Amino acid sequence: MNRIVFISKKAVELFILFFLILTVLFFLFRLAPGDPVTRMVDPMLTPEDAAHIIEQMGLDKPLITQYVIYVKNFFTGNLGFSFHYGEPVVQVIMARLPCTLLLFTTSTLLAALAGVFLGKISAWKKGSRLDGVLSISALVCHTLFVPWFALMMLWILGFKVGWFPLGGIISPELWIEESSFLVKTLDVLHHMLLPLLTLFIIHVGSYLLLMRSSMLSVLKEDYILTARAKGLTDRVIRNRHAAKNAALPVVTSVGLSLAFSINGGALTEQIFTWPGIGRELIFAVSNNDYPLAQGCFLLIAAVVLSANLIVDLLYAWLDPRIHY
Amino acid sequence: MRGLILEFIIKYGYHVNMSHNFGFINRFSSSWKIFIQNPLGKAGLSILALFALMAFASFWVHLLGPMYDPMTGVDPAVSHSVGPNTSHWLGTDFIGRDIFCQLMEGAKIAFIVGLASAFISIVIGTVVGMVSGYAGGIVDMLLMRMADMVMVLPSLVILLIIAALFGQLNIWMIVFLIAILRWPAVARVIRSQTLSLKHRPFIEASRVAGASNMRIIFKHIMPNVLPLAFLYMTFRVTSAILVEASLSFLGFGDPGQISWGMMLQWVWSSGHMFQAPYWLLPPGICISLLTLSFYMVGRAMDEVLDPRLRKEGKE
Amino acid sequence: MTSNTRPSPVDVDVFQYQRRVWIKVIVFSMICLLMMLFLLSCRGETTKGVLKIGLPEEPRTLNVWLASDSNSWKILSQIYQPMYVRDPDTLELIPWLAKDMPVLDRESMSYLVTLKEAKWSDGTDFTAHDVAFTAGVFNDFKVPRYYSKWKAIDKIEVLDDHTLRFFLKKPSAIILSRVFTAPMVSRARWQPVVEAALKTKKPLRTLQNHKVDSPLGTGPFILSKYQKGTFLYMEKNPWFFGTGLTLANRRLGPWVDGVIYRMYGTSDVAILALQKGEIDMYWWGVQPGYVTQLTQTPDIELFHNHKSALYFMGFNLRKPPFDDKILRRAIATLIDKEFIITRLLQNYGVAMHSIVPPGNKFWHNPDVSRYSEGLTHLQRIQKAHDLLKQAGYTWDVPPVDTDGNLQQAQNIRLPSGLPMEKQVILTPPADYDPKRAFAGMMIQEWMREMGIPAFARPMSFSALLDKIKGKHDFDAFVLGYGKLNLDPDYVRTFFYSKNDKPRGWNMSGYNNPAFDKLADAQRLEMDNDKRRVLLLEMQQILLDDLPYIPLYNPDILEATSRKRFNGWVETLEGIGNLWSLCMVKPVTVMEP
Repeated sequence: MNRIVFISKKAVELFILFFLILTVLFFLFRLAPGDPVTRMVDPMLTPEDAAHIIEQMGLDKPLITQYVIYVKNFFTGNLGFSFHYGEPVVQVIMARLPCTLLLFTTSTLLAALAGVFLGKISAWKKGSRLDGVLSISALVCHTLFVPWFALMMLWILGFKVGWFPLGGIISPELWIEESSFLVKTLDVLHHMLLPLLTLFIIHVGSYLLLMRSSMLSVLKEDYILTARAKGLTDRVIRNRHAAKNAALPVVTSVGLSLAFSINGGALTEQIFTWPGIGRELIFAVSNNDYPLAQGCFLLIAAVVLSANLIVDLLYAWLDPRIHY
Repeated sequence: MRGLILEFIIKYGYHVNMSHNFGFINRFSSSWKIFIQNPLGKAGLSILALFALMAFASFWVHLLGPMYDPMTGVDPAVSHSVGPNTSHWLGTDFIGRDIFCQLMEGAKIAFIVGLASAFISIVIGTVVGMVSGYAGGIVDMLLMRMADMVMVLPSLVILLIIAALFGQLNIWMIVFLIAILRWPAVARVIRSQTLSLKHRPFIEASRVAGASNMRIIFKHIMPNVLPLAFLYMTFRVTSAILVEASLSFLGFGDPGQISWGMMLQWVWSSGHMFQAPYWLLPPGICISLLTLSFYMVGRAMDEVLDPRLRKEGKE
Repeated sequence: MTSNTRPSPVDVDVFQYQRRVWIKVIVFSMICLLMMLFLLSCRGETTKGVLKIGLPEEPRTLNVWLASDSNSWKILSQIYQPMYVRDPDTLELIPWLAKDMPVLDRESMSYLVTLKEAKWSDGTDFTAHDVAFTAGVFNDFKVPRYYSKWKAIDKIEVLDDHTLRFFLKKPSAIILSRVFTAPMVSRARWQPVVEAALKTKKPLRTLQNHKVDSPLGTGPFILSKYQKGTFLYMEKNPWFFGTGLTLANRRLGPWVDGVIYRMYGTSDVAILALQKGEIDMYWWGVQPGYVTQLTQTPDIELFHNHKSALYFMGFNLRKPPFDDKILRRAIATLIDKEFIITRLLQNYGVAMHSIVPPGNKFWHNPDVSRYSEGLTHLQRIQKAHDLLKQAGYTWDVPPVDTDGNLQQAQNIRLPSGLPMEKQVILTPPADYDPKRAFAGMMIQEWMREMGIPAFARPMSFSALLDKIKGKHDFDAFVLGYGKLNLDPDYVRTFFYSKNDKPRGWNMSGYNNPAFDKLADAQRLEMDNDKRRVLLLEMQQILLDDLPYIPLYNPDILEATSRKRFNGWVETLEGIGNLWSLCMVKPVTVMEP
C-alpha cells in the first residue's frame, strides 16, 4: 500500500518536472539570438522573403501565444512541424528512435553485465595479477576519449582489417536487391557490431571499477564472515551474498549513466553515421529548428526521468532496509 | 595535491579539539606514509607531477621566442605540418605552430578545468546529498527534485546547446557549467549511502546520546560517505576534462584557449587525422594519462581514508 | 581464501549448468560469425552498373519548395530541370529544357522561348503549361528565393504546347541568368496540392510541408528508394530528354544504371570508404591535408577546381572609426593575403582582390587597387603608417620610430585626438569554419602591430548573423559567400544603399549615390558588353572605398575512385554537377 502511494506520488512529481523542463526549453530557444531564417545565407533570399517565412512559421506572434499553442498541441500528441525537414516532429523522432534505443540499451546492458561480472571477480581476487590487469584495463577504458577512440576503431577494424563496414546501419545494395529478412537482419547486426563494441569498451570500465569498490566494501561486512563461518563455498558467498548487495550502487549508476551515455552517444552516432536521435538534436539546435530540438530534448528528458524512476523502485525493492 | 589531502583531513577531523594540534600533524604524516606506499598512489602522483611541470612550464615558454607562442607563433620557414625535428620536438601543425608548446598549454587548461569544476561539484554534491539523506521529508524531496531536474540534462549536449545558442563560451563559464551540471550524480549516491547509514545502530546511538544533527552529519556520516565522495571526485575530474575535451573537439570550446581537445579538433578538421600521428597521438594520450593519474591518486587516497580497504598485513 | 570444504551437490549442479550455458553461448556466436562472413562474400551483383556517391549530410527534404540546403539540391537538381543551364567549359547559359536561346523583342519588352520535346518521368509530355504553372506558383505563394526575381515578369503567354512569351515590366539584365534557371515542376502533379494549400491559413507552409514520396521530374534520374538516414537510390530515367543528345560538345547519357547516395557522418570516414571501395565519389570538398596521402593511393583521382566564392572582411561604416576610408585602406595594407593562402589554405586557393572572383573572367576586374600585394612585412607596416600619419592619426608609441625601425606600436589615436576604442572582429566558430576563425585571429594580430586594439571573437553562426545582419551591432567581421552566382548582380545587392536595412544584404551600411546610379543602370542594361563596362567601374569604386576587404577564394579538391567509373566533368565549383552525372560511365575492362 505504501509502495503504491509512493509510486503515484513520484509519478506526479515527475510529470510536473517534465512540464517545467518543457517550459524552460521553449523560452530558452526562442530567446536565444537568431531564428531559423538567419542562417539562410543565400543572396537570393530577400528581407521580404525572410519576413514571409517567419510569418508562415508562426514566429511573428507574441511568445505567450506561441507557448499556449505549443502546450495545447503537446497534449494532442502534436509536437509541431520541423522547420527544416518540413515533417511532423513526431515522425522525425519515431524514425530515428528505434536505432538509438537498439544500440544504447544493448551496449549498456552488456557493459553493465560484464562490468558486474568482472568487477566481482576482480574484487574477490584483490591484489592478484588478474585484479591488476582488470583494474588497469578498466581505468584505461574509462578515460578514453570517445571520438578519437571511435575513429581509431573504425580505421583499424573497418578499414585496415576490413571486417566491418565503415558506419551506417545497412548496406544499400542488399536492400535494393530485396534480400530476405534473415539477410537484412544479419546485415543490421553486422553494422551494429562495431559501434556496439566501441560503446561497450567505453562503458564497461566504469561499471567494473564501481562494482569492484562496492564489492570490496561489502566483503568487509560481518555477514560475509558469518557466511564463511557457516562453511559455505566461495562461489556461493561471492554470488549470492556479496555480489547481490554490492550490485546496488551499480544499479543506481546505470540510471545515472544514461545521461553520460547520451553525451558519448551523440558523438559515436555521428562518427558511425548511425541514424539516431543524439545527432539529430545537435543538428536541430545548431540550425535553430526549435520544434525538432524541443522534441528530441523532451524525449531524452522523458527517458532519463523514467529510467530514474525505475532505478528508485529497484533500489527500494532490492534493499529492504530502506523504507518509505 | 597536499593541499587537497589537508583539506579532506581537516573535514575528517572536524570534531578534533584544536588543542590537540600535534595530533593533527601526526595523523597527516601517517596518512601520507600509507599513501606513498601504495603503488597506485606513487604512479599516479608521479604522472601528475610531470603534467604539473608541463603546466608550469607553459607560463615561460614564450621566452623562447615569438615562434613558440602556442596560438599565433608560426615558424617562418614551415607552412605545413611536419614531423618531429630539432627545433620542434613534436613537429608543427598545419599552420606552422609548434605542437609541444601547444601540449604544455593544454596541460595548464586541463588542470584548471578538471580541478576547479570537480571541486565545486563535489562540495555542492556532498553537502546536498548528506543533508538531503539525513533530513528526509520536505527538504529531501525538494533537493532531490532539483537534483533530478539538473541530472536529466546530459552535460555535453547542454553545453553544446548553450554554446550554439549564445555564442562561444569562456573557459571559466565552461568550468562553472560543468560543475553545476554534474553535482546531482554525486548527491544522489551520497544520499543513498546516507540513507543506508541513517538506520545503522551507531547513528541511533548517537542520537540517543543527544548529539545535534549537524554533529551527526559531519562527525559520523561524513567519514563514511567520504570514500565514496572521493571515488566520485576522481570521476568528476576525469569527466570534467573529458567533457571539456569533447566540447573543444567539436569546436565549441573557448577559442582563445588551446586545450588538448582543441588540438584534436585541428587535426580532425584539417584532414590530418590519419597522416600525422605525431600531432594526433600526443593530445589523446595526454588526456588519457592525466585522467588516469587522477584516478589512481583517488584510489590511493581511498585506501588512506578507509582503513578497511587497506591491504592486510600493513599497519 | 581457499575453500577447504567439498562443494555441495547443489553447487556442482550449478557449476555444470553454468558450463553448459557457456558452451551454448560460444556455439551460437560462432554460428553468427560464420553467417556474417558468408554475408560479406555475397555482395550484390545487380548493382554493378550503379554509381555510389557519398554525401556529408542527409538531404533535409525532397520538397522543391522547401529545400534550402545544398545536399537536398544535389538530389533535386537531378530531378527538376530548368530551361537553361551553364555550359561547363564556357560557363555561358545554353538551352536545356528550352530549344533555343530566348529571342528578345524590344518593342513589347518580351522574350520568346521555345521548348524541347521532353517527357516527365511517368511518360507524360512536358509542355509550356508546366512552365506557366510553375511561374504561377512562384508568384501566388511568394516562394522565397524565386519570387523576388520572378516579380520582374509581368505576364506569361502560352502560345502553344512548346512556345511561350514572357512579358517584362521593365528591362532587366538578369532574366536569363536568374529567372530562366529556375526548376520546373509538373502541373498535373502539383495542381491539386496547390489548390488545397491556397485554401489554408498558411499556404506557403502547407505547400512546403507536403510530403513528396516519388517526385516527378524531367531529369536524368528518378527516385527509386529512400531509407531515411542511411541511403537514397536513384534509377536511370528512361524518359530523360537528354539521352543521346549532344549538348556542350558531349553526348549525354546517363550511362549508369542508377546512383546510390550514402551518408557519412564525418569526412574522414567518407574518405576511408572511398579508399576501401564502398563509394566511387565523395560529393564534398576534401581538406588539403589529404592530398599527399590520396595522391599516393592507386585508384584514387583528385580533382582540383576553382570556386566562385568570396571570403572577406567587412566593416561597419555607420559609426567611427571604420567610417574612415583611410583607416580601412591601412588595414587592407596590413593584411598579408599570401600568408593566408599558403598557410590556411595550404596553397589551394587564390587571393581575392575584387568582389568578383577571378574565375568569373568576363565580369572580373583585374585592375582594381591592390594594397598589400608583393610587400614585405616591414614595407606593409611602413606604408600603413604613412597612410595613417598623413590622415592625422597619432600614437603613444608609433610603429615606426624616427630611425625607420619597427617597434611595438601602442595606443593609436584618432585624428580627433581621442584614443581608439576596443574593436571586435566577429567570425564564425572554429567548428563551422576554422579558416575564417583563424583568419580573424591573424587579422587581429596584424592590426595590433599598428597599435589598433583589435579582438577577434568567434561566435555561433546564428548569433553572429543576427548581430551583423539583424541588429547592425558590430565593428568588423570575417564572413564569406561559398557559392556566388555567375551573374554579378550580387555586386549591386551587397552595396546598394537601399539594402541597408535589418536583414538586408548591405551589411556594412555602404552609402554611395554614384555607386547606386551605376548599380541601377547595370540592372537594366540588356547588352552584356555595355553592362560589363558598368560593372568594372563599380568594382573600381568598391575597391577604393573598401566597405569589404576581399581576402581569399578557396579551391575545391574532390576525390573519386578510378576502379569502376570515370568520365567526371570538371567545371567551376568542381565535379559534382549535372554534367558529370550524365557523362560518367563504367570503366571498360581491357581484355588481356
